[in-house]
Amino acid sequence: MFEKMRKILSKVDADYSDIRYEIKKESVVYFRGKELTKIGSNSTDGYVLRVLKNGGLSSVVFTKESDSESAVNTAMENAQLIAKNIEKPIEFAQTKAVKDVFTPELKEDPRKISITEKLELIKKYNDIPLSYKKIATSNIDYEEVIREKYFISTEGAEIREDLITTRLLGEIISKDGNLFQNVRVRAGGSNGFSTIRDQEGNFEERTSIALNLLKAKPVEAGLYNCILNPDMAGVFTHEAFGHFSEADIIETLPAMREKMKIGNKLGNDVLNIIDNALLPDQLGFYKYDDEGVKVHPTQLMKNGILTGRLHSRRTAAEFNEPISGHCVAEDYRYSPIVRMGNIFIEPGENSFEELLAKLGDGLYILDAKGGQTAGENFTFGAQYGYVIKNGKLGEMIRDINISGNLYKTLKDIVAIGNDFVLSKAGACGKGQLNIRSCHGGPHIIINNLIVGGV
Amino acid sequence: MEKLLEMARKVCDKAEVYSIEHTYNPITFEDAKLHDIESKFQSGISMRIIKNGKLGFAYTKNLLNREEILQNAIDSIKGEVKANYNFPITKELPQLDTYDPLIEKLTSSKMVEECMRICDILKSKTDGEISISSYKYIENIRIINSEGTDISKKSSLYGIYGSVIYPGSASGIWRVFISKKFEKFPENITDNIIELYTLSSNVVEPEGGKMKVIFMPNSMVTLNWRILSGTSSKSIYEKTSPVANKLGEKIFDEKITILDDSLDDRYPLARAFDDEGVKCKPLTIVEDGVLKNFYYDLNYANKLNTESTGHGYKTAQWGGDMISLKPIPALTHMRIKPGKKSLSDLVKLIDRGLILEGALGPHSGNIPNGDYSVGVNPGLYVENGEIIGRVKDAMVAGNIYETLKNVINISDMLYPSYAGEYRVPAILFDNISVATKK
Repeated sequence: MFEKMRKILSKVDADYSDIRYEIKKESVVYFRGKELTKIGSNSTDGYVLRVLKNGGLSSVVFTKESDSESAVNTAMENAQLIAKNIEKPIEFAQTKAVKDVFTPELKEDPRKISITEKLELIKKYNDIPLSYKKIATSNIDYEEVIREKYFISTEGAEIREDLITTRLLGEIISKDGNLFQNVRVRAGGSNGFSTIRDQEGNFEERTSIALNLLKAKPVEAGLYNCILNPDMAGVFTHEAFGHFSEADIIETLPAMREKMKIGNKLGNDVLNIIDNALLPDQLGFYKYDDEGVKVHPTQLMKNGILTGRLHSRRTAAEFNEPISGHCVAEDYRYSPIVRMGNIFIEPGENSFEELLAKLGDGLYILDAKGGQTAGENFTFGAQYGYVIKNGKLGEMIRDINISGNLYKTLKDIVAIGNDFVLSKAGACGKGQLNIRSCHGGPHIIINNLIVGGV
Repeated sequence: MEKLLEMARKVCDKAEVYSIEHTYNPITFEDAKLHDIESKFQSGISMRIIKNGKLGFAYTKNLLNREEILQNAIDSIKGEVKANYNFPITKELPQLDTYDPLIEKLTSSKMVEECMRICDILKSKTDGEISISSYKYIENIRIINSEGTDISKKSSLYGIYGSVIYPGSASGIWRVFISKKFEKFPENITDNIIELYTLSSNVVEPEGGKMKVIFMPNSMVTLNWRILSGTSSKSIYEKTSPVANKLGEKIFDEKITILDDSLDDRYPLARAFDDEGVKCKPLTIVEDGVLKNFYYDLNYANKLNTESTGHGYKTAQWGGDMISLKPIPALTHMRIKPGKKSLSDLVKLIDRGLILEGALGPHSGNIPNGDYSVGVNPGLYVENGEIIGRVKDAMVAGNIYETLKNVINISDMLYPSYAGEYRVPAILFDNISVATKK
């Protein structure tokens, strides 16, 4: 394969070029209620060519090898068109040209397990919620995505890496009269099919939450101090803070870039945030990004002070900051963009009981469902929660959506728990989907969150 | 393709081969400077086969090996996904105007030039950060099946998105314009962006509570998503629709009429057939507030003992690679009937309220139930009929089956939304819950 790719690159007349070829193998088992609606295994492939010429950078995505010549020409033309129309030439930060073959260690290779065995396992899980009368339906998707990546550059990089993701995404919908409630169930990871095994307890627990929500009260709209569980804390870290640690987002927003300068004190003293894609066995793990750069753990905030940022080669040069290896594509249909790997708030000192006592009155909100951010403002939902009065957990609440301002909220994170949980299945959409987007953290207290209610 | 179909027919009862080829050329300007030019040439083939009422499905990008894709489809039959429907015999489709050959002549240089022109206008009249992107898109779809259907279509699309961002946020006022060929970004749209941006540059912190709210076309996705969920044959079949038993009943205010019209080729991306080859026809979902129809694909129509309404599309909530998706019921060309008031007339009807210019988190919350709870992105605050500034921290929440009963009035303009295939007006609602920090 590398030979074929080198041949394509040899036709490029530019200062730098790279090409990535990928074979993507997907297996799926989908249930909608009792019915199996999709099953099978498929394989697709394609190329991404990037060209840096005279300070202009352009990429072309193509599927047919016969299109490679026109891809080369289009990329060069577009790079030159960019070069002609920009004031400041695009540069790439220096990196070591790596030659490596990396295949992750797996606890059970999903490719060696028959689709029939997968089907039986998923069916067994799906039958758990469906055995309850008040469960209206369930949507359970098993997906296995294997990216076999080949990357070469004119600087001499030559990398083979496999990313093997297994994921179980489910939604359990309960119903009472005209009231519907839904909760999510998640499992999976980057290190093999074992992440999908032994999920019976998980399905039982999520089913009982869906049933209990039918009796929960809608939360009253207002301003609350809240304890967020690790999943909610992770989504906050990812959505509200993490995206603005992605250099390509703030690169072209001058006022935001000024606010997010390294050394600025943005958060409460208790707050330490890191992106570490090298933690073994977690969902966000990878070794090289899609520019062939080795990923580094990147401390983003220390004691509330901004200390680092996630970069591509282009943004690292633009910001004159160290490269971090965070330029990642969904697959062969996209050129890479800056992505988080595995972002989290580092654990602190408080037990959950201590957090409850510190909070006094407020809400305990758990398990994110959906989140979005626009600049300094963010909104995301929680699957369920509890009222806290005098440091004690009270009645269950539903319909929780919180909203806040990034800068105010970073200062309003006043206490950090001593526990630590990372997410098992991801789906970050930033123009392209990142199914290995991983986040988590400890329980945390955030003061002054707006809760929308219904 | 024909050969693949022929091979499939030998081993199963029914077969369908779907092919798509598209080219996509996006250009982006960030902070009023050229940032990126990309180009994508993509193609793919997917197939469905049915044997003894069981479905097989497979896809690939490069049809290098016909045996392999057919084998993948045959293997997937073993899972026993039920399919008691036939692929359609579709002939004599209406000729729709979906492709303008002028698009082929549109160069990247010309697109860059147009983006620069708009950057200059917006930059000279606002103090915001300017972001512009434009693209050209050409798509070929062909469907052949064992019943003798052989249909295809070619579409062209040129689109441009212009936004002015409040400095220090990533939030702002944006509008899109789409056409089958290159056209200049209309001046009334740039004027509208500039006016709304200027009127909302002050940050205000009003008290929350129940108030009047205008859902602008950019935030109508909040309501649309829940309407789609409630009226999909998939939700009816799965018993997750709160309006499953309400056909013929009044569910919304009588000013609300919602239909789907994919044949309307005044706009780009019209369709004469869906992704299953079923002939499209206009479908009324809600007429004068009364629920009229649900929408069906072949699969759910069969399960519910009715006919497909021509709404089987290879789509998913989060996009995804079309070729890898199986058709599901989707309402792709939604129109909400406009009213007679201009947008500024609607604003004048507000004593105290909010213009929800964009919504943050429309995908989150209890969608089947019709609940929504979205951040303002941004929200323009109105007092005594005048916009007096923008609200940063606020949430607008409700349930569509309540909200859509509280319609005060509807604007006279239709605006593209949801990938451009929807056309919706702005709607002024009464008595909507708005939570703020006060």
